[in-house]
Amino acid sequence: MTKIETTLSSLLADIGTFYDKKIWHFLTVNGIDLGEGKIELQWIFSKYGAKDEIIIYYLISEYETAIPSIIGLIPSAIMGEREIVDMFGLTVSGVEKGLYLDEDSIPHPLRSQS
Amino acid sequence: MKKTVQIPLGSQHISLLEPIRFKFECENEKIIGVDADVGFVHRGVELACTRKFEFKQVGYVVARVCGLCAITHSLSYTLAVEKLLGYEANDRIKYLRMLMVELDRIHSHMLCLAHTAENAGFEALFMQIMAQREPVMDIQEAISGNRVQFDYISIGGVNRDLTPDLSALIHKNLAALSEKVDALMMLFDTNWSLSLKYKGIGVLSLENAYTYNALGPLARAAGLASDVRSESSDLPYEAVGYTMVLESSGDIHARNFVRLREIVNSIAMCRNIVDNLPVGEIQEKVKGKPKGEAVVRVEAPRGELFYLVRGSGQNILERVRIKTPTFSGIPAMMEVFKGSQYADAPAILASFDPCMSCTAK
Amino acid sequence: MKFFTPFRKKSPWILHYNAGSCNGCDIEILAALGPKFDLERFGAINTGNPKQSDIFLVTGPVTYRSRERLVELYTQIPEPKVVVAVGSCTDTGGVFRGMLNVEDGIDRYIPVDVYIPGCAASPQLIIDGLVKALEILETKSKAIEKPFKLFGAVQMIGTKLSRLNMAQRVRHDEN
Repeated sequence: MTKIETTLSSLLADIGTFYDKKIWHFLTVNGIDLGEGKIELQWIFSKYGAKDEIIIYYLISEYETAIPSIIGLIPSAIMGEREIVDMFGLTVSGVEKGLYLDEDSIPHPLRSQS
Repeated sequence: MKKTVQIPLGSQHISLLEPIRFKFECENEKIIGVDADVGFVHRGVELACTRKFEFKQVGYVVARVCGLCAITHSLSYTLAVEKLLGYEANDRIKYLRMLMVELDRIHSHMLCLAHTAENAGFEALFMQIMAQREPVMDIQEAISGNRVQFDYISIGGVNRDLTPDLSALIHKNLAALSEKVDALMMLFDTNWSLSLKYKGIGVLSLENAYTYNALGPLARAAGLASDVRSESSDLPYEAVGYTMVLESSGDIHARNFVRLREIVNSIAMCRNIVDNLPVGEIQEKVKGKPKGEAVVRVEAPRGELFYLVRGSGQNILERVRIKTPTFSGIPAMMEVFKGSQYADAPAILASFDPCMSCTAK
Repeated sequence: MKFFTPFRKKSPWILHYNAGSCNGCDIEILAALGPKFDLERFGAINTGNPKQSDIFLVTGPVTYRSRERLVELYTQIPEPKVVVAVGSCTDTGGVFRGMLNVEDGIDRYIPVDVYIPGCAASPQLIIDGLVKALEILETKSKAIEKPFKLFGAVQMIGTKLSRLNMAQRVRHDEN
């Protein structure tokens, strides 16, 4: 497992140069609540045919900041992005709410409720 | 003038085991656009794992994410926590875990084959495969005490041992099953009316499989060599005779055949495991609290299952991220529907073996 | 309609709905319908149409998004009808009790006649429950059975459910 730090502005460029669909398998987008309004976002990849080779691009962001969407590069990221929009209440450009939660559900349940 | 018509499928439908709603945009009989609503069974397991339950209990909670692949969920979670605790299981435990995972794969694949047959209109074939699946359920019941949801794996080992009686039962039932599977392969390959419903229907091309990150039997039927059993070193799969199964045509027939050949491979692995079971304890003491971050990938019957666990040295974990196979397979599935006939939609859907309770958690 | 009663008893049709279960009970229902346990010897067959069904097999603890469908399906089944709750989480919420998007059992929404325990409920228990349900079905009349009112903050769903005036909203303090 390798972790590479990236930033919001360079995310699309980083993943765009790194990702080759025949070599890397895109796993998912993941968010981890760090408390105090901060969230760690992870984009996780694994290599086809290699043993235990997982690369995680991560960055630390705030809930209010809009996150760029990587659907243009990796179409299957749509599910993961819709999920973090629902579960953390983030804004991802061009991604709508409502994958899991209804109008009367608790909003952004995975965000720490302090 | 608008020439298309919208036809819904679900959320309650005879061909669906679980609620999912599709909206097909159809031009005459041909599907040209798909929209899916997959969130019907969202229960919030991820949240409960980090708020309500202690890390020793979570293994049994995540098993309830999905009834069909419960064992792979508890296995991946247990492996992740064991990594955080710095413990590695002995060979006997690893082999017993692999045995249950492979038995689970056999029965899940058979259920999928049966369900696909039912949705394609072959009710008798459905009954036949369901009958042939029962010996595997009997083995699972004899080993673990329950037919599904057996909670066999716990942190530091497994909950029951394999006795000589059980080994004999496994050999007997698997021998019977093996013959039946050979006959089924013959049937699927040569039967003309099955070929009308299966061959050339619901094709996923290799290019699309790469683009949409297809996984599991869906990808292997399209020729994409992706199987976590060969990409992970957590369990010694090479030692028990694992081989990757690949087909190339990418249609329902290819997916069925990947499943059938994987059943054959799994039967061989189960026999190897039972014959060459190492000696050792089945339950070992594990001390400490999980601290740090660990990722685990395990091949569930439907594809790659991914767990990310982060702990901070407390009883309650900080984050349990569950990425299930169907969840990331949905974009590829929607792609397959485009261009096929509406009448084939239930069979195509069943051939993906979708698991909505996995997807929505 | 005394004339139809014996037929209904001999061929009860099943409607199966998954209201958020983990699939375990659903595959056990399939197994029970299969050749080994052979639920069909009681004349039961699995149908997808609520308007032709007599027995409503429900699995799962009722998630928010499936509430509306559950009540809709229940009202579409003609009387007399029997509801069978399959599995621990359908009865009480089970392991999902108190989780984020879950309503702790179907008897908050519709009247239940038979509760089947187990996680997952075994096919033997499902057959037992179904036989029990058949006994109950015989004693029931054509009187209309209504679902319980919807709970809590579901005004959005409530306005959509007009039939039988069933969706009068209940305030939080009443439950």
